[in-house]
Amino acid sequence: MTKIAIAIIVILIIISQTFFVVKEGQQALVFQLGKHERTIREPGLHIKIPFIQNVKILVNKVLAADARSADEYMTLDKKRLIVDTVSRWKIEDPLLFYQSVRDYQGAIARLNDIIFAKLRQEIGNHYFREFIREKREYIMTQVAVGTSEQAKRFGINVIDVRIKRVDLPEEVQASVFARMKAERERIAKRYRAEGDQLAREIRADANKKKEIILAEAYKQAQILRGEGDAKSTSTYAAAYTQDEEFYSFLKRLEVYTKVLKNDTAIMMRPDSNLLRYLQSPVGSAGTESSTGASSAK
Amino acid sequence: MDQFRPRDGNDNTVRELRKNVEEFQDHFLRFIKGRGIWLIIIALILLYLASGFYIVGPGERGVELLFGKYYGTTDPGPRYRLPWPFMSRTIVDISTVRRAEIGFRSERGRARSIPTESLMLTGDENIVDVQLFVQYLVKDPVKFLYGAEAPEQALRASAEVALRGVVGENDIDYTMTSGKLDIQHKIEEYLQELLTTYQTGLQVTQASLLVVDPPADVQQAFHDVVRALEDRERLIKEAEGFMEDVVPKAKGQAQQEIREAEAYRAQRVIRAEGDSKRFISLLEEYKKFPKITRERLYLESASEFLAPAKKYIMDQNANQVLPLLPLTGSVPQAPTNSQDTAPEKKGK
Repeated sequence: MTKIAIAIIVILIIISQTFFVVKEGQQALVFQLGKHERTIREPGLHIKIPFIQNVKILVNKVLAADARSADEYMTLDKKRLIVDTVSRWKIEDPLLFYQSVRDYQGAIARLNDIIFAKLRQEIGNHYFREFIREKREYIMTQVAVGTSEQAKRFGINVIDVRIKRVDLPEEVQASVFARMKAERERIAKRYRAEGDQLAREIRADANKKKEIILAEAYKQAQILRGEGDAKSTSTYAAAYTQDEEFYSFLKRLEVYTKVLKNDTAIMMRPDSNLLRYLQSPVGSAGTESSTGASSAK
Repeated sequence: MDQFRPRDGNDNTVRELRKNVEEFQDHFLRFIKGRGIWLIIIALILLYLASGFYIVGPGERGVELLFGKYYGTTDPGPRYRLPWPFMSRTIVDISTVRRAEIGFRSERGRARSIPTESLMLTGDENIVDVQLFVQYLVKDPVKFLYGAEAPEQALRASAEVALRGVVGENDIDYTMTSGKLDIQHKIEEYLQELLTTYQTGLQVTQASLLVVDPPADVQQAFHDVVRALEDRERLIKEAEGFMEDVVPKAKGQAQQEIREAEAYRAQRVIRAEGDSKRFISLLEEYKKFPKITRERLYLESASEFLAPAKKYIMDQNANQVLPLLPLTGSVPQAPTNSQDTAPEKKGK
């Protein structure tokens, strides 16, 4: 009974030492007494010589390498930048990978070193503006290509290197905010000034229209008045020329009535035409003309 | 002594228990030695085989591996695979829409901003505050499981890459206003491209920009631009209002002046005619008796125009300006002292 049990256990141990499974997303290295024997890149059931050979399983997926921390870089125009990258890679040559960097952690450390150096070099060769805008893609491709070349030594295939973040150092950020503020203030001022300008134009236009309308009206009014004056003048002339002397007599009488007021003092001689009957019923030497009305203030 | 008492009782129970166990072992061994052993073995084998059953729920897919190698994908329903160690299966939800939040985190229904994630540089070297919301689902369960390490983490990182990449290519004004949809679309495309390259098996269904704002530090200035724009419109509207007010009023005033002038013209003409008629009528009568009419007219007028004035009658011979008789008030009742009174006035 116990013999059977022991036999089963021994068989199980031998089986587990002989067969091994490489799953999807994995690859394996088989070592014989510490020496590389073969590389398995296909998933499935595999056989090895028990006890003599051992297996090292590695990942066969797309892996990520985040930069340890966002590092500071300097552009060609001496602007400082904080850049955070992420790269994707695969273990292309498991043996080389295992021999050179041992494991995932080691690989990431090496990769990040390479990327950092490459990126530093690329950013240092470009102006800030270029890097931010038009050449970002180009620069990243350059970095990826450069990294890929060096990473081959570690059996790593770099798929790409991407910039996750590009930020400005805090103190620079503050000055960017100040600039943005100034920029917006400028725009706001422009809008207000434009509003003022347009409003003034409209108002001036309105005033102009008003003045023109009024002037036109004045002109027409004057013409009308002139017509009235002319017509009445001719009418008067036609009538008064029938006896000009009588007209001037009548008109003067009218004028006296209007002109002589309470505060007018009149000196008259008793022998004036008006007063000639004042002292005698016969009348004094009636000088016809001497009405003697000389007015004084 | 007392404390050893219970021990006797204990001894008894232990003894009893041991007896029972021995009895059970006895029965069991007899059972094993008989056909019972086979029953147990069969039961164990059945149980082992039954461990291969599994259920794929609606909207899920089962991925089966045979010795670690991809074997097949199973649709919803009860499924069977060979038990361990031959086959294994993983169930993946492919219909639930998953979500990733960039620049903010939803917490109990409220979005909390994460400035380190949401602040980014635009192409014109400004800084903008952006929050991106990505919805995605698993399109290829096999790739999702075995294509990339931590695919959903890869999606988050890639979404940040895409977001910053696209925003960095555009100006702040474009990003914040007219270009929002365009940028959203580009981010979606870029992100999908990355996800495909990275073999994540994920499909982006929607990437939407929730917030595209100026950073808090400069928000006031941005709001002020909006206000300035409104101010401009207001100033223009006010001026237009002024025009609407002034021009019709001027037109009214113009018409008024013209009407007044017209009235003046008509009035002048009519009056002239009246005056002329009157003069002519008078003249006709005057011509009949010119001397007396003239006298009458003069005296009538004199009574009228001399009435209100102050009058001084001077010495007849001496031409001195000394007034002899200050005649104040109305002529008819002039109070006098030296000279005689009653200068008739109305007399003809």
